[in-house]
Amino acid sequence: MSSTAGVMGPHISPGSLAWFARHEMTLAWRRWLSIMAGGRRKKDRAVAIGLFAFVAGLHAIAYFFLEPVLAAGLTADTTTLVAVTGTLLLSFSMMLSQTLESVTRAFYTRDDLDLILSSPAASERVFAVRVSSIALSVAAMTALLAAPVINVAAYIDGPHWLWSYGVVLAMAMLSTAVAVMMTLGLFRVFGAKRTRLIAQILAAVVGATFLIGIQVVAILSLGKISRFAVFSSDMVVSRAPDLDSWLWFPAHAAFGNPWAAITFLLLSTMALAAVVAVSATRFGEQVLAAAGISRGQKVQAAIRNGFRQVSRRHAMRVKEWALLARDPWLVSQTLMQILYLIPPALILYMNYGANTDMHAILAPILVMAIGQLAGGLAWLAISGEDAPDLVLSAPISKGAATTAKIEAILIVMAALVAPFLIALAFVTVWGALITGLGVATAATSAIAIQLWFRSQSRRSNFRRRQTASRTATFAEAFSSISWAAATGLAAAGSGFAVVLGIFGLIVMTVTWWLAPRGDI
Amino acid sequence: MSQIVPALNIQALRKSFDRPAVDGLSLTIPTGEFDALLGPNGAGKTTTLRMVAGLLAPDSGDISICGVDVLADPIAAKQILAWVPDEPMVYDKLTPLEYLEFVAGLWGMDATRAFERAQELMGWLGLAAHANERCEGFSKGMRQKVALAGALIHEPKLIILDEPLTGLDAGSARQVKTVLRRLVSEGVTVIMTTHILEVAERMADRLGVIANGQLVAEGTLDELRDKAGQDGSSLEDVFLQLVADDADANKELAA
Repeated sequence: MSSTAGVMGPHISPGSLAWFARHEMTLAWRRWLSIMAGGRRKKDRAVAIGLFAFVAGLHAIAYFFLEPVLAAGLTADTTTLVAVTGTLLLSFSMMLSQTLESVTRAFYTRDDLDLILSSPAASERVFAVRVSSIALSVAAMTALLAAPVINVAAYIDGPHWLWSYGVVLAMAMLSTAVAVMMTLGLFRVFGAKRTRLIAQILAAVVGATFLIGIQVVAILSLGKISRFAVFSSDMVVSRAPDLDSWLWFPAHAAFGNPWAAITFLLLSTMALAAVVAVSATRFGEQVLAAAGISRGQKVQAAIRNGFRQVSRRHAMRVKEWALLARDPWLVSQTLMQILYLIPPALILYMNYGANTDMHAILAPILVMAIGQLAGGLAWLAISGEDAPDLVLSAPISKGAATTAKIEAILIVMAALVAPFLIALAFVTVWGALITGLGVATAATSAIAIQLWFRSQSRRSNFRRRQTASRTATFAEAFSSISWAAATGLAAAGSGFAVVLGIFGLIVMTVTWWLAPRGDI
Repeated sequence: MSQIVPALNIQALRKSFDRPAVDGLSLTIPTGEFDALLGPNGAGKTTTLRMVAGLLAPDSGDISICGVDVLADPIAAKQILAWVPDEPMVYDKLTPLEYLEFVAGLWGMDATRAFERAQELMGWLGLAAHANERCEGFSKGMRQKVALAGALIHEPKLIILDEPLTGLDAGSARQVKTVLRRLVSEGVTVIMTTHILEVAERMADRLGVIANGQLVAEGTLDELRDKAGQDGSSLEDVFLQLVADDADANKELAA
């Protein structure tokens, strides 16, 4: 056996940065494959083919939209620079949301940290590698989404557009640096006990805030919900800096200006390196603080003097409600969905009492948000059972237990959506009825999909629920989109709603057909 | 003359996965006994007990608990049964008291009686000081005791425990053993699986040895010694002899 090769590849000095980097990359690659293939290695090839077809399709769509724009010649005037800078800021807020979540996880997830921190290897190196891998993975995800636009632009207008990938990497590094500083700031202000929950909520809020903020401005100033209406409005363009301002250099970099891209990359690299250098020594300390919290935290509930007399089904519902209300992931996800409902709520408020068609805008957003939320709630209630043996060995039929869980979700959904529907009914009863029907259909579809694809898991696996079934994930997304579009069109009085409704039914039928048969 | 109904009666029970896990097992356990089921890993102990608890459907065979047919009337059977798995399954975000309230609700107990019973059990198991703390910070031993309290709150007639003492410190193990012996003295039947032979030897009235999905021996320790032909031997010697005999018999059968 060669002395320069180990089971994991060529020899690299153990404990070095490169050694940790290879370890992280191996784990990240296998995790990604597992997510894509749902844990089945045989599916690797199918995943590769599917991914290739998907990316090729996106390139075709990008070509369709970009070709006329680039053929006409793209000039970096103020309006374009504002639009590009706005889009970059929007992307940055989304990236910051992801990196904040990943950095928090790096501090709190035990996995192999106990092993590494108990070894003589320097924890600073682990931190540096983990932070860099967060930046790279976020850059890779964003690059995957941006690739069709960048590649097609490079094909039509020249290879200088490929410098835009540098912008993606620079933004990923910058967002990671900001996320690390924010997390350490949270540790200092709130302590290890509260940082995880606050960071999770913050991650959800940061991702949504910029988009929602722009939409709110659009609604209040222009009466439109589109963020591009704000970017191209006189209000913004007239106040924008001059064309030669340094503030535009990220936008110029995105346009494929090599010097701007290199500058952006250098500055971001320096920012991330500085943050790692400053904070790496505190990594081990904070991880230990986080570990101490996860083992010893005491959340005290109110002292009870008796139990409530309830039916078996209601006992199940009460348990579900208590667990849903105490789930930090769900709290952050729900908060995010509620934030997305602010713009339509604002539209509703501004048109209160007026007989307008604005419910056509409100309806699809509400249906989409509730559909997504219902999917998460349904997974938690149906598949995320932490004590399956207890429930199965209880004198309640499996059907009754499942029904009670579904009732618990439906009641939560109804409580969330009712204020919107009641307010909408004051504007238009017909619109409220259509929206209510759309919401009910989307929620029922999401719950049905979770029922068909149920697989027992711990609630803490909520974040990884998509790995259980790709089909269920896509079906949930397609059904939500179909019902949202159908509801929006129905609210606008378009007959095309029927076509989308039929498409929604086809999605559900195909999903049911693809679902694993057996005991549900 | 009325016949005494056994706490558990299993007849010709079979369950196969890729291979037979339980292979025609028959077992009768009288009321008010403490029985221990022993066997090597993969012998079929847990599979058997999961079928008794209604967590797995058998391929064939009959199971009755205190005269109630588990397959024909599972709800009635579950009403008088408690199952405690080896891995304590409690809800991290509930407190022990909330967990017990949920379990009492699932078993349809009277709320006043359930609350009294919960206080009693938490006192017995040393959980009273933590009654209103969420379980997420609990050690495995604490979680095991919460799960046990949940199993006992509805005053079952038959309690099945799968490796109940694994992961418990000496103090917690003593508390659990004391509670279980107290219940047996009150007429409750307890069946547990364990790999800790000393515990089985000291606590159980009768022992059952399962190997290759079959009951190879059953009785008091003295009866097992007779069967193994090892007078005065420890349970460990007897157990290893019985399992080895069964393996030899299977080899001969295969040959």
